Amino acid sequence: MLRLVIQRLLALIPLLFIVSVLTFSFTSLLPSDPVDLIIGDTGTHEQYEMVRERLGLNEPVVGRYFKWLGKAAQGDLGTSFFNSVSVTGAVMQRLPVTLSLTAVSACIAVVVGLAAGIVAALRPRSWVDRFATIGATIGQAIPNFWFGLILVAIFAVNLRWFPATGFTPLSASPWDWLRSVTLPAVALGLASSAAIARQVRSAMVGVLQQDYIRAARAQGLPARRVIYKHALTNALVPVVAVLSFQITVLLGGALIVEQVFAINGLGTLAITAVRQQDIPMIQGLVLVMVALVVIVQLATDVIYGLLNPKARPS
Amino acid sequence: MTLHSIDKSVSRAGRSRRLNASFVITVFAGSVLALLVFLALFADWISPYDPLQQNLIDAMQGPSAVHWLGTDDLGRDVLSRLIHGCRIAVIAAAEATSIALILGVPLGLFIGYRGGWWDWIVMRLVEAVVSIPGIMVAIVIIAILGTGLHRAMIALGILFSTSFLRLARGVVLAEREEVYVRSARVVGASDSRILLRHIFPNIAPPLIVQITLTVGAVLLAEAGLSFIGLGVQPPNASWGTMLNSAASYMDLDWFLAVPPGIAIIATVLSVNLLGDVIRDAIGRGIAVKVKPETPAARFDAVVPAASTAGATLPEREDDVLRVEGLQVMISSRDGEEVPVITDLSLGIAKGETLGLVGESGSGKTLTGLSILGLIGAGGRTTHGSIMLNGKELRSLTERQMEQVRGNEVAMVFQDPTTSLNPAFTVGNQIAEVLRTKKGFSQKDAWDRVIELIDRVGIPRPEERAKAYPHELSGGMAQRIAIARALSCNPSLLIADEPTTALDVTVQQEILDLFRDLQDEFGMAILFVTHDLAVAADICDRISVMYAGEVVEMAEVDGLFSAPRHPYTRGLLSAMPHASDRNPPLPTIRGSVPRPGSWPAGCRFSNRCDFRTGSCDQRIPLAGTERLVRCVRAGELEREGAR
Repeated sequence: MLRLVIQRLLALIPLLFIVSVLTFSFTSLLPSDPVDLIIGDTGTHEQYEMVRERLGLNEPVVGRYFKWLGKAAQGDLGTSFFNSVSVTGAVMQRLPVTLSLTAVSACIAVVVGLAAGIVAALRPRSWVDRFATIGATIGQAIPNFWFGLILVAIFAVNLRWFPATGFTPLSASPWDWLRSVTLPAVALGLASSAAIARQVRSAMVGVLQQDYIRAARAQGLPARRVIYKHALTNALVPVVAVLSFQITVLLGGALIVEQVFAINGLGTLAITAVRQQDIPMIQGLVLVMVALVVIVQLATDVIYGLLNPKARPS
Repeated sequence: MTLHSIDKSVSRAGRSRRLNASFVITVFAGSVLALLVFLALFADWISPYDPLQQNLIDAMQGPSAVHWLGTDDLGRDVLSRLIHGCRIAVIAAAEATSIALILGVPLGLFIGYRGGWWDWIVMRLVEAVVSIPGIMVAIVIIAILGTGLHRAMIALGILFSTSFLRLARGVVLAEREEVYVRSARVVGASDSRILLRHIFPNIAPPLIVQITLTVGAVLLAEAGLSFIGLGVQPPNASWGTMLNSAASYMDLDWFLAVPPGIAIIATVLSVNLLGDVIRDAIGRGIAVKVKPETPAARFDAVVPAASTAGATLPEREDDVLRVEGLQVMISSRDGEEVPVITDLSLGIAKGETLGLVGESGSGKTLTGLSILGLIGAGGRTTHGSIMLNGKELRSLTERQMEQVRGNEVAMVFQDPTTSLNPAFTVGNQIAEVLRTKKGFSQKDAWDRVIELIDRVGIPRPEERAKAYPHELSGGMAQRIAIARALSCNPSLLIADEPTTALDVTVQQEILDLFRDLQDEFGMAILFVTHDLAVAADICDRISVMYAGEVVEMAEVDGLFSAPRHPYTRGLLSAMPHASDRNPPLPTIRGSVPRPGSWPAGCRFSNRCDFRTGSCDQRIPLAGTERLVRCVRAGELEREGAR
């Protein structure tokens, strides 16, 4: 297991390198000159040159890249073009917000997806199964931000159970954190629940037809034990692979759902950076996101290995 | 096996039902999408108002006769904006999907065909892009290109091109080494010709599925990007921008969010459903129109009740298992129940081995499973009695039956590599039985596991107990399965073709193991096999099964020396003998009729060389010591004795 972790961590380095080259070269292709945006229409030629020099834009791209890379390797992702804020600082400040939203929605997706998928698989073609399957199909067609709006209208505006906007950090008040994160997490997790439910159902139906399930029943093991230990352990193997992909999707979806609930997370940061063509901020955001995705994939790989003995390096 | 043939008929029933469902879905999804395209094309003529016409006096009106869906915050007609939004949705889907297709497919074909450095570099780049959340990739590209519908769609096109690229590359890699491609190369076809004429056609089916997936994803992404202000820009009407303005007024007029939301959901749902239907159709080899099979002749006496049974089984003092008049029905196509086992009787005494012999599809495996009460969904035992150790199993509750399984009867299956759970160590799986059934402690269970594994003849049991099933050979896995079955010392062991999946050399060892264990534990064995040589080796008595019923039962020696049923005779003469090298091996013409299409009289009559007119009535199992189900059994025996 340790070897697998180290292997994956080593594979992370070239991936991050390629991503950094990619984003750096792409963002250097920006058609508009960020300096113009900063100094505005009234700026003089001297001001222009000064800003260009300060931002280091006079150096050749390759030189700038390696300078940036050297610092990035030490955790310094540079400074925003606009407000002299450290990119690392800005990203780290927002990271817990987006992460808690993603994590809670992932939990909701797993719990709802597993429950619906198992219930449907245990009685294939029953009305429960049809209901779950149709629900999952529709759930995958509902845009998360629209679902968020509807949740706000019902549970925040009308029933006043949850706040309509804002985010309370977990450290400030766990209860308020839960209240502030519930609606956005439900909105975000819906489509993933549907995707996971579909996967769980098909995996579970397949596993329940396996000989070893019948053999376990023939051995007189209680039905519940056979379903939840013998069948589920095997059905979870393909589900874990889907989960890894779904968490990436959730992370992206969080950027949009944050806007519905006026949550000041990475999404707001990214949208502002795009509008201002804040290159260092965009680069930093992409890099941090890739790192997050790779960590999630590493974690799911480890779980995959635990569930599936054949996948373990012997 | 019987189960397989039934599965097939059940799945055919399911398929025709699914075909109907998919027809309904196709019509629904098709109409939604047709309506969408129609509205998009004729938006200017259809929409009652100019979608950009503001009227601040009439702002935020609910639905009315004048404005069917009300007006928005600037007094614009919501219905008109919705209809014009269709146009944007169609443009967005077409634009982004085409860009993805045009970028992805040629590049994927090229790198897949070329391989080498090109492939390596492009694939690393694709991996990098794929590891970033899709919406973030789009955001970065929009940062470079700027906002607006077309730029956002270029961004989405680039994003989704990665999936087309990987798909095209995958197909090329699979097809490149196919014989027809290589032979085209040999005759000197150019690379571009090979790609276009030979490889490209293979991409079409998965490509169509990928296109539907992409269209759905593009629609959702476009709405999302427009919603956060990076896609379509106000005041243009797209469903995403409509939701954007609605978002600010959720406390005042939540209805504003409903029409564009429903429009998005209906469209995406239709595209996804259509994609599912296409994928299913391709999965079946695009055999969308399945010709309904002519229904097989039903046999009229649906329930040949136990009363037609002639002779009853001779009762014996030491019978462990006694099955009488068993009938099992399985619901098949149209939910109709079809008998798969009828009037089946057998008895096994302590320490005795009864062979259940017959061709595939005769109901042997199902007999074993019905004794365990594990026929599965769709099947049930309708008649007869199953007495195990003097207890009527059919009257037990599922809970009581759980107690019986493992403790009094256990089963060994055909394929040991699939009958052991791949996720747990083999020792763990035996220990689990001991703990749940016998209440053993963790440690006691493990000690007993080692003993058992040692007893079934596996060297280094401590080590093997910690192995996973896939780490063991087939023969060793079957020994483990036997150890597990015997762990609670059952009085009856059902062995379902336990040597069929094994190497010939291993088969004999496993048979010897069964004999040894029977001497030691004294259990009765129901040995299901299609192999008469194996049956002759291990069984004391043999029941021959044909089309769901027993046709002959006798001691092994008697059966082999003087078979009384024509089917048994056929089986014996079709048996290869090592000494007998005279080809050809005789066979029984035809095959076992499927459940539901059994002849009304003797079920073997349509394959039988001795058929007479009286074979068209039900024939009871007759005899005292030896039982046989044939009107001409007497003649056959005399002929055999000659």
